Amino acid sequence: MQESKVCFSAKGIVKHYGATHALKGVDLEVREGEIVGLVGENGAGKSTLLKIIIGAENPSSGQMTMEDQPYAPKNPMEANAAGVGMVFQEQSLIVNLSVGQNIFFGHERDFRRYGVINWPRMYKQAQRVLEEVDVGHINPRKKVSDLNFATRQMVEIAKVMNVTQRTDGRKCMILLDEPTSVLSEEETENLFVQMRKIAACGHAVVFVSHRLDEILEVTDRIYVYKDGASVGSLNTGDATEPLLYEMMVGRSTTSEYYKLERQVEPQDAVVLEAKGLGLSGVFKDVNFALRRGEVLGVCGVVGSGKEDVCEVLCGDQKPTAGALYIHGQKADFQSPAQALAAGVLMIPKERLVEGIVRTLSVEDNIAASNHRLVSKGPFVLAARVREQALRLIGRLRIKTRGPKELLMQLSGGNQQKVVFSRALASKCEILILNHPTRGVDVGAKEEFYGLIRDMMQEGKAVILLGDTLDECIGMSNRVLVMKDGRLSGAFDAPARGKPSQVDVVSAMM
Amino acid sequence: MSQPTKPGAEKGPRLRDNLVKYFSFSAIVILVVGFTLARPNFLGVANLKTLLSDSAPLLIMATGMTLVLLLGSIDLSMGSVCSVANVLTVMIINELGPQLGPPALGAVVALLAAAAFGAVAGLLLGFVHVKLKVPSFIASLGFMSLWQSVAYLITAAPVSVAKVMWGGINWFKVTFGVVGLSLVLALAWVAVAYLFQSRTSFGKALYAIGGNERAARIAGTRVDQAKIVAFVLSGVCAAIGGYFLAAKLRSSAPTVGDPFTLLIVASVALGGTSLSGGRGGVLGTVVGAFTVSVIQNGMNFIKVDAYWQSIVFGFFVLAAVAISVDRSTRGLVVK
Amino acid sequence: MAAKQPTPMTIAEEFAAKVRRDGQRERVMRYAPMIVLLALVLIFTAARGAAFASFTNMVAILNQLAIPLLVALGLTFVIMIGGIDLSINGTVGMAAALVGVLVMNNRFPLNLGFLGVLLAVLGSVLVGLAVGLIHVYLKIPSFMVSFAFMYVCKGLGLLSYAGQPPKIIDPLLVALPKTYWLGIPFITWVAVAVLLVCIFIQEYTAFGRYIYAVGTDETILRAVGVSVNRVKVMVFTLAGLCFGIAGVLYGIRLGQGDVTAGNDLMFPAQAAVVVGGTSLSGGKGGVTNTIVGVLIMTVLANGLLLVGVNSYIKTGIEGLIILTAVALTVAHGAKVVSK
Repeated sequence: MQESKVCFSAKGIVKHYGATHALKGVDLEVREGEIVGLVGENGAGKSTLLKIIIGAENPSSGQMTMEDQPYAPKNPMEANAAGVGMVFQEQSLIVNLSVGQNIFFGHERDFRRYGVINWPRMYKQAQRVLEEVDVGHINPRKKVSDLNFATRQMVEIAKVMNVTQRTDGRKCMILLDEPTSVLSEEETENLFVQMRKIAACGHAVVFVSHRLDEILEVTDRIYVYKDGASVGSLNTGDATEPLLYEMMVGRSTTSEYYKLERQVEPQDAVVLEAKGLGLSGVFKDVNFALRRGEVLGVCGVVGSGKEDVCEVLCGDQKPTAGALYIHGQKADFQSPAQALAAGVLMIPKERLVEGIVRTLSVEDNIAASNHRLVSKGPFVLAARVREQALRLIGRLRIKTRGPKELLMQLSGGNQQKVVFSRALASKCEILILNHPTRGVDVGAKEEFYGLIRDMMQEGKAVILLGDTLDECIGMSNRVLVMKDGRLSGAFDAPARGKPSQVDVVSAMM
Repeated sequence: MSQPTKPGAEKGPRLRDNLVKYFSFSAIVILVVGFTLARPNFLGVANLKTLLSDSAPLLIMATGMTLVLLLGSIDLSMGSVCSVANVLTVMIINELGPQLGPPALGAVVALLAAAAFGAVAGLLLGFVHVKLKVPSFIASLGFMSLWQSVAYLITAAPVSVAKVMWGGINWFKVTFGVVGLSLVLALAWVAVAYLFQSRTSFGKALYAIGGNERAARIAGTRVDQAKIVAFVLSGVCAAIGGYFLAAKLRSSAPTVGDPFTLLIVASVALGGTSLSGGRGGVLGTVVGAFTVSVIQNGMNFIKVDAYWQSIVFGFFVLAAVAISVDRSTRGLVVK
Repeated sequence: MAAKQPTPMTIAEEFAAKVRRDGQRERVMRYAPMIVLLALVLIFTAARGAAFASFTNMVAILNQLAIPLLVALGLTFVIMIGGIDLSINGTVGMAAALVGVLVMNNRFPLNLGFLGVLLAVLGSVLVGLAVGLIHVYLKIPSFMVSFAFMYVCKGLGLLSYAGQPPKIIDPLLVALPKTYWLGIPFITWVAVAVLLVCIFIQEYTAFGRYIYAVGTDETILRAVGVSVNRVKVMVFTLAGLCFGIAGVLYGIRLGQGDVTAGNDLMFPAQAAVVVGGTSLSGGKGGVTNTIVGVLIMTVLANGLLLVGVNSYIKTGIEGLIILTAVALTVAHGAKVVSK
């Protein structure tokens, strides 16, 4: 591939969210006519970077240029005007409108005459736009709700191409964020053909996917990101899957960090067992056993089904196949409340949405999962609630002015500590920790790891979805890997002899 | 900690809760002073008696609504449940009462029947809302229309309580000084509700669900159960309100509850319970219900056209809700 | 890479099957209102024969249809953006009261003639505007704002004629309800005209597209720079306009300005819109659905009366219809949070 002109470049992009450093100086350069792939683990910063490029977020610092012009979009519209368009992971089509109406949504003015939209003209134009991306067989008058996902994806691309198309001959750039996750193999191939065609016209394409084989197949160059920084870029011709894994995972953290010396061997008693567990259309044939004193890590990319497995385990969703056994007894949870009664509780991933009640006090949040333990008859004993809160505030060093303070007045890390305290207070035997260290600082993370090790010594059992792969491997006795809704690998992870991250990642992707 | 804590980053909500309460408290004071200046005998024994005993039915119904509003839901059917309970009460007292012997017995049977009806109405609404996932405002709107028609089917025209049965409902007129027995009963009812709300796990669940239903569910709260119980209680409160109205007016009317829906919402909103749920409580509602009663009574007393009342209450509801509504979530979609 | 074991159905297939099932359900739901309407017509024809299926009764149905249709049209757009308007009783009643006060009548000297009619409509338009503005800028749920305005408007209506409804004596307006053209009453023609305007708005203007978009996903509008707030306020104002026209026509038909005119209109209108297939969550349905919905409700009311059912039961049936239609169309599942 000969060197062509640079289409888009980003230098030293930094993004803070409060105290979290989502991007720590990321670079990206895309040439005209080039398809560039972005790879990295979850949380490596790919999505944040795309959001900044499309103008949905503002960078904290850093410079971008598009076609030799300084580029700093404040919103997606400005990005479109500069020739940058994005196909979103969640499609942005209005399903009850027709294809043509969606393509020109927000641009109806161009077809208006005396305030009336000239539909025939719009549909004719829409037909032309669709033909440009080679899907002229789609009827622009058809409702989007009547199309399948693959066709919708093509409409979406046609729509993006249309808004970014420039009249002055300058090139545009299309961002595709996980576009293949809902497509079949054949549909994916078709998408790749379109991407190559767009590139052949001299436009730039940026492609994000968890599937390395796809990245290797369709791109010209690959950027690898890790922990909000670029690890490097290489020509696809020089890249192999193992090499990419190596670059994505980097070096492991020290063993003291995860308190490996305190990792205990699980006992023999199985506390939870999944037999052929499945949720229609999401995951299938999930089998595993969790022992007393064991941390069972579950890894997988977003959409692999690991989150849904957690939701089934904690009673939030009912499985459509297979069964769950708690202490050998078949469990048929109708709600998380029933799971709680059986001693299963989940710390959810999205703290604000699922983890805390902002309008309640610290003590009430801590007592939310153990009313039975602080009650006498029908009455909740205020003294016991207070005493329990004070104890946990001290143990986890929660920064608060007192147990009566409302949770919304605590910082994010302290809110997460309260969620953790709630799990401790619940006295549940089986805890599902879904990203327990999300958004907490390094010091607090170490405290959490210590607490998990304590719980294992007490003979509890934990299913852990780590915030990073490193954490998941470091903390677990055993690691399960999920891919496309199935278990794709299992690794023993004793204190001496942790599996390599590269091996785990290769089972994930 | 490297993460900066923001002490008092969100002082707003607490202040806002109190703001509504101060607003209601000062409204009562200003209104009482204003009405007294307009008509010195506004604070006379006779009017105080009326004011205090008239506020009892509203207070009971508003207590029930508070529990529902704490969930972040709403029950617009309370007015018509109240109407049905009202016509049912008078029908039972008149038709079954004489056969039962002493008037008091008839009145008790009527009370039990009314309360049972209220519980069933609440159960149905709770079921439709919780199990069929119909949003509470539209579900209760549907039931509002249903119960209105049931009330008409029981008795289309107003019916008076037969004179022989007055013994069963005369308790409403019993007073201790200016305080009526009805108000004492209503306040006792509030006290029980307060105990329920703040000392039981059911009450804790109400606040948790109202604050964040998803989090409450994941934390193992019995969300469906708590919601249905709250709707049953609101149904019972509405029915008892209807029973009180029958005792107060010594008659029934199939439309008696209609104007109460707005008054109930006004009382709860003025009491500082947030429409978005999770904040407030029945004690605030007592203040709110008295504010509403003072306005109503005062406007009658200084002979303001009754037409003004619904205008005034409409704006009061808007103002109270506007103050207490939760706007702290960024990008919140309000439908 | 672990080889996939042969299973009866892969996850992708399961997913595809689920999407297909949803699609089928969707298609059934699309035709369900038509089937219900047809079934009602057949049932009532079978029960009452000529009394129902006669030409006079058809004209009667068209006559009964006019005002509910106007109200339902306004409500349709509001529900399409995912909101709701409970002010109907008040806004319609207020317009009906004002028209009595402002035209030639037996109680007040005001005689503004046609201007009076316009002013009465304008009153409801302003209320719609106020509901929209308060809802959008104070972030109060629309049901609450409109609920409060229902009472405000009722109060204003009563206040306008101080308790006793004025009789309309303007000869033109008195004659209007009895005016027919092509055998169809004038009032129905007005409703049809408004219907055409609404279809035009929905199908031929950018605003119509935005209404669908607001109900589907507000972020899509923000991404192309359309003001969501403006669309919402316009929708509530438009609803106010429809309610105003309905109220004025109702007052003219009654022959007097009476605020109670609005009392029986809210439930049938809500029922008509949801039964027609416009989803309460927004983004789905439209004016054409509402036509079917209004036909269902009107035929039902007309037929029940002919069959001799107690008129009080009608309200109850409307309530049940609202409950059933909404329960059938809302999202289900353990994880759905409904308030």
